[in-house]
Amino acid sequence: MNCAEFQEFLPEGFEGGRTVEQESHLKSCSTCSGLVADLELIAREARQLQETAEPSPRVWNYIEITLRQEGIIREPHLGPALVPARPQRRNMAWLAPVAALVLVAFGIVVYQRGSSDSRLAAHLDTTTPSLVAIVPTSQKPSAVNNSEDDQLLAAVASRSPAMQAQYASNLQNVNAYIKDAEESAQADPNDEEAQQIVMDAYEQRAAVYEMALDRSLP
Amino acid sequence: MTDARKLQGDKLSEAEAIERAKQGDAEAFQLLYGLHKRRVYSLCLRMTANTAEAEDLTQEAFLQLFRKIATFRGESAFSTWLHRMAVNVVLMQLRKKSLPVVPLEETLENEEEAPKKELGAQDPVLSGSIDRLRLQNAVDALPPGYRRIFVLHDVEGYEHNEIAAMVGCSIGNSKSQLHKARMKLRESLKTSRAEKAAKP
Repeated sequence: MNCAEFQEFLPEGFEGGRTVEQESHLKSCSTCSGLVADLELIAREARQLQETAEPSPRVWNYIEITLRQEGIIREPHLGPALVPARPQRRNMAWLAPVAALVLVAFGIVVYQRGSSDSRLAAHLDTTTPSLVAIVPTSQKPSAVNNSEDDQLLAAVASRSPAMQAQYASNLQNVNAYIKDAEESAQADPNDEEAQQIVMDAYEQRAAVYEMALDRSLP
Repeated sequence: MTDARKLQGDKLSEAEAIERAKQGDAEAFQLLYGLHKRRVYSLCLRMTANTAEAEDLTQEAFLQLFRKIATFRGESAFSTWLHRMAVNVVLMQLRKKSLPVVPLEETLENEEEAPKKELGAQDPVLSGSIDRLRLQNAVDALPPGYRRIFVLHDVEGYEHNEIAAMVGCSIGNSKSQLHKARMKLRESLKTSRAEKAAKP
């Protein structure tokens, strides 16, 4: 066997399975043995290329953003105790269209009454669930559960300390709104619009919780 | 901490991360990404020799994995599952780009690229180790078809029957291309070493 014949066979027989003749040639030929040694060295050293490079931070940033958008990353559920008791979570499904109708009703009411109430006008002007524009008339909310709010703010503080102040402000405003809405509804129990305003106020409070928990409304 | 304990600790951490990731835990996803990003990215980079493209493919591989993580049952190692997915993503991308496919016949368009056979003359052997950067550059300079087979076999450890199934060639062809890749690398490494030695 000569070198040309041995090297022609080499691709098939590199990892073993050589005949006696081929082994004999390999032992006796320094060129072919040097070649095989070099190729074996390359194959061994190639493993060091397995983890040589590090991707830039943008790779993870893109992955995380995409996973959040697709809802695959979800913030942990903090338990039913942190969800406002009124209205009940199980009834929330129908509140979204109701909330939309309430907003439309508000628009009609305010336009017809020519209300100069800056609080309601600010509410109608908001296109996002943010309640910062609502000016509270009272610092003491009525029927809301302060312990639930405290728990929510504690959770926000643990994950996003910088956001705690804003959520505290939002909760203060929406609780004041609920108080005023309830007082109006209690003053005239037959006023359906006032009742709808109360429901919307609680919807807004639920929206604040949803934002804090980073989940969308059902 | 012994290697065994550390390994056990890592495995437990990964298993916990997988379960938490199934629940949508952001930190769990980030942990899994951190554990495997270098391996996946290096694979993509070696296969494409392009950093931007490698990063895009890395993103895609992890996104596909994370979208399906709820279906992971643990029958195989998570790293194996991820790695196979990354390879499929890369190969699919290479097919889309219509990069030169490994020829079913053992012919080359440009015979100058064919590795030279070592006949007759005694040849100096490469040193006992190869500088990683030199090897990296040499791999990046390989023709795409050679590079693909070499990376899958020698770098990533796939067997020829697996490569043949993934790439769509015969086992014999996979072996042939691997041999030619190694021969080209040998030439390249010897040349670069000679050039380095020749410098004053």
